[in-house]
Amino acid sequence: MSQTEHLVKRLPNDIGGLPADPVVQTDHPLEPWEKRCHALADVLDFHKIINTEEKRCGVEALGAEMVGKLTYYERWIVAFSNILFRKGILTPTELAKKMEEVAARWDEHAGA
Amino acid sequence: MESQEHDHDDHTHPHEEVGRQDKPGYYDMLETAVRELLVEKKLIGADEIRRQIEVLDSRTPALGAKVVARAWTDPEFKARLLADGRAACEEMGITFYDDTLLAVRENTETVHNLVVCTLCSCYPRPVLGLPPDWYKAKPYRARAVIEPRKVLAEFGTIIPDDVEVRVHDSTAMVRFLILPRRPDGTDDYTEEQLAALVTRDTMIGVVPARAPQGSAAQ
Repeated sequence: MSQTEHLVKRLPNDIGGLPADPVVQTDHPLEPWEKRCHALADVLDFHKIINTEEKRCGVEALGAEMVGKLTYYERWIVAFSNILFRKGILTPTELAKKMEEVAARWDEHAGA
Repeated sequence: MESQEHDHDDHTHPHEEVGRQDKPGYYDMLETAVRELLVEKKLIGADEIRRQIEVLDSRTPALGAKVVARAWTDPEFKARLLADGRAACEEMGITFYDDTLLAVRENTETVHNLVVCTLCSCYPRPVLGLPPDWYKAKPYRARAVIEPRKVLAEFGTIIPDDVEVRVHDSTAMVRFLILPRRPDGTDDYTEEQLAALVTRDTMIGVVPARAPQGSAAQ
């Protein structure tokens, strides 16, 4: 087997059957933004803007490093952004501007 | 312990200003930005996220527990549930807000069923709510399909060698709910009392349902 063959055969989400650590029974109540992110996913699905399979593929397309290091809903919101860019629904520029606006809102709030 | 210390340091003035929060993190702001842009473009309604959060909050394992208790007490309902899980749940007034089918698998004396989503986190959300973190994490997803008996043992569930273990891998379209075995000694229980014995994990298939005295039907 070549040194890279496993990368071709297994995309980041495809982990069924691989060796892994013992199960640790972790759970946490969702952060408010995580719950909004979940609701956003459902609403995007209702409107046929992003369906479940597109979401899963979008997460996979983040690549192994991001899939490994970002948390569950962090992966989702980044994947949504990328899918919305790809579909021409949002542009990176307008999202960057909106991010600045959201950040500025909090800075004003803090300085008030 | 370290993170608790950290949390404490972040809230040295907990009662100073009610409602004032720390600046949200990057991903929190990213969610806000994406959502606001979609609302501005009229692709989603401003109120839809709030309403969907209410729907999500209304879904807990208590719904699935009611379904299981009904199946334990009503053989005709059980037959309908096993034939078409979604239709039987809808019959009990549980709406499916996502476009998924529900397959119900019954644990018996000879077969133990377990649910996993190896690729991601598909789960019967309309009847159980959102999945626990361990269900979405690598160890469970990777190992449930290759060494289910070992994984079950990590939940304290020992399956005898003569009982077959079947693992069901969820998809975007088909979700699985396990109908656990009714515990022994519950013949005189009401449907409501039975429902109280049915936990989330029994319906994922990682633990048996137990009567209060601890006698599991296994």
